[in-house]
Amino acid sequence: MKIKKVAIRSFGKINGRTFEVTDGINVLYGENESGKTTFHTFLRCMLYGMARMRGKAAKNDPYTAYEPWDNPAGYGGTLWFEAGGRDYRLTRNFSRERREDALYCETTGESLSVEDGALDKLLGNVSEAVYENTVSVGQLKSVTGPELVRELQNYMAGLGNGADASIDLGRAAQMLKMSRKGYQVQASNREKEMQSLIIQTEDAMTRLEEELRDIRERYKEAREERKRLAPSEKRAGDEVVRSQIAALKRGQFQRNLIFLGLSGLIMLLGIVIHLPLAARLVCFVLALGLFGLGLFFNQRDNEEIRVKEKARENWHSRLSRATSEGRSLKEMFDEKAKTYVNLRDEYQELLEEKNLPGNENVEIEALTLALATIDRLSGNISQDLGERLRMRTSEILEDITGGKYEEVLMDENLRMSVNTQERVVPLERLSRGTLEQIYFALRMAAGEIFAEGEDFPVILDDVFGMYDEERLSGVLRWLERQKRQIIISTCNKRDIETLEKEGISFNRLDL
Amino acid sequence: MRFIHIADVHLGARPDREMPWSAEREKEVFDTFRALIARIQDDPVDILLIAGDLFHRQPLLGKLKEVDYLFRTIPATRIYLSAGNHDYIRKDSSYNNFVWADNVFFFREEEVQVVKDPLLDVFIYGFSYHSREIREDILEGLEAQDENGVHILMAHGGDDRHVPFNVRELLNSGFDYVALGHIHKPSVIVRNRAAYPGALEPIDRDDFGEHGYIEGVWQNGRLSLSFVPFACRSYEQIILEVDETSTQNSLEDALREEIKDRGEENMYRVILHGYRSPDLLLIPERFFPLGQITEVENETRPMYNMEEIRRHYSGTLIGDYINAFQGRELSLVEEKALYYGVQALMETSRVRRY
Repeated sequence: MKIKKVAIRSFGKINGRTFEVTDGINVLYGENESGKTTFHTFLRCMLYGMARMRGKAAKNDPYTAYEPWDNPAGYGGTLWFEAGGRDYRLTRNFSRERREDALYCETTGESLSVEDGALDKLLGNVSEAVYENTVSVGQLKSVTGPELVRELQNYMAGLGNGADASIDLGRAAQMLKMSRKGYQVQASNREKEMQSLIIQTEDAMTRLEEELRDIRERYKEAREERKRLAPSEKRAGDEVVRSQIAALKRGQFQRNLIFLGLSGLIMLLGIVIHLPLAARLVCFVLALGLFGLGLFFNQRDNEEIRVKEKARENWHSRLSRATSEGRSLKEMFDEKAKTYVNLRDEYQELLEEKNLPGNENVEIEALTLALATIDRLSGNISQDLGERLRMRTSEILEDITGGKYEEVLMDENLRMSVNTQERVVPLERLSRGTLEQIYFALRMAAGEIFAEGEDFPVILDDVFGMYDEERLSGVLRWLERQKRQIIISTCNKRDIETLEKEGISFNRLDL
Repeated sequence: MRFIHIADVHLGARPDREMPWSAEREKEVFDTFRALIARIQDDPVDILLIAGDLFHRQPLLGKLKEVDYLFRTIPATRIYLSAGNHDYIRKDSSYNNFVWADNVFFFREEEVQVVKDPLLDVFIYGFSYHSREIREDILEGLEAQDENGVHILMAHGGDDRHVPFNVRELLNSGFDYVALGHIHKPSVIVRNRAAYPGALEPIDRDDFGEHGYIEGVWQNGRLSLSFVPFACRSYEQIILEVDETSTQNSLEDALREEIKDRGEENMYRVILHGYRSPDLLLIPERFFPLGQITEVENETRPMYNMEEIRRHYSGTLIGDYINAFQGRELSLVEEKALYYGVQALMETSRVRRY
């Protein structure tokens, strides 16, 4: 693409000016604050339109900054350019009320639609960002040496990562990782919380299992006790024992009756019948003896009955205790078994819930995908691009310094150095002028590589301020040899004088 | 005739297990049920309908006794109770042999039973779950008896796995009121004819909004229903509108304010919504300590015009990045990744973007 003519109707401080731009070198000359930056911004806005910002930010956006003071309705202008061998005329009005974007092909007489992307097609792969990074070259902004070195290194790294010098992959990745870390902490807290609940539940289940086992054991014991107490070959049943006791009582009664009767009878005989005293005495003693014997037997029977009854009572209470314990154990077992089942359900639910992805997981996945995508894309680009950029930068640097510096080097930490004929010098040790030369070489190399095949002009906005005369001559001679259209804007008469002294032809545009 | 209809009390539930207020909520579920019984004691209704899931899981005998005791304290009210899918009657269920107070009728069977109220001409129909699910519409073809009086059907379920019944058909089969249960959100299906009272207390973080019970009055052959909020707290949703002027602090203040206005006792889900300033890095976990927050959903997007950015940066890494997400339907993760990546690349860039 080549710019032919720039007509600014009204843009910032510039009003009703037309500039004829030629092939080769053009020098736009003007004092400070005369509108050089306005001119460049105009060019960019013509080619890429003027994006408006919303809200608060609109106060400082280019639209507001360049809104003309005198003639707001004429906000805009016309640009004539050549692309792909055809001539075009692009007229734009940026004002809110009279918006216009008209693209006309003067070669074919065809009207084209900017809105439908006809202009984008003509600009090819040079987007606004690429334009800003490669076509239009501004000054290095840094003032101090170390800052300057950093700026330059960042430029080189950024460009190597994908045509955008302002990209800082390290910080971008750091920002994404930081966000991800936050969500990961959240997720892991949640998981820990769930895990501890799960473990609590597991513990409760284990305890309950033990209790259940214990209850079952005790229940078994109670049942065995009942079984032991049940009538068997060894143990007579309750009925038998009861009838045994009854029989004993009956026997006791009969025996008592016999003894009492006999002793009474003999006593009576001794009293009623007239017997000698000795015989009476014998009767008396006999009766007493029989009575005593009866008493003895009665006592013995009593003892036997008591033992039997005691045993029976004992057995009864043991049996009823075993039975009631069995019953209450069964009840306890049922309740605990139910609690266990409920706990198991709860446990299942907790496991399910734990496996459910939380809110954080979506964010973590998204951040991981973002990181991986950036990594993949920048990896794709930087492998050979960075190397090509470095090689071409080295060539240009060698060219403009008359072979003083042969090669630009960059290590994996993005630290740059240059190879002189004798040694490797880190950037920090170079003068500002040399740094400016490296910057220039880098930008020129980037322009060639990223705007490849588009043949865009090179626009240099006040970049030679820090050059000494020798350096300036070197750069200008190099520029002359380029087949591209070049627009140099400057407030320095020296640039023009040097061109004249070197005998380089150029087209002068005055602001 | 006046009745109260509740369902899904979920006694024994432990809401929000991993949250600090969980134990308190477990207690409140019981307390609110007790409070309802106390209210009935003060102002007795004729009938209390409990349409399933009185218990969150298998009831223990002890709990049944406790509940039965509460029922004994409202002798003027007849209680009709059925088991739902949570407290379904297993073979070993405590429900099986439990003997309820005289004023309680428990629908033991899985088939629909009908019982006439001993004092009023009210016929109550009901059934209980004997398993976790009943996939069959066991109410299909059910008709109310041809008797004078009010016919009320208690039905727990209504979704695919829990008796997929058709309420309108049931209303056409002679029922005056279908007392529903199972859905935790209170909702009227047919005005004054069929309704879910919802859970008495909200049971989990998805049970948004007011909770309580339904009070019904049958007068002059017409039924009128009203919903009575009764739960002691609720789960609410707070949507924080984010715009380009929002900051982490302004959003935290707004949230604090909103929680104060809407009740500090409630539990909140916070949704951040809108377009945030691209340089704002939100830290959602900082919202949690500001109240009883169950979750924070960040639905904000950086205020970018993706198409404009794509055009502007085409041929550079940012342009390539956006292109990597173009030309297909994006999943939620991909969409978020797109914004995350663009934001990171733009906001860490060394020049101030337009």
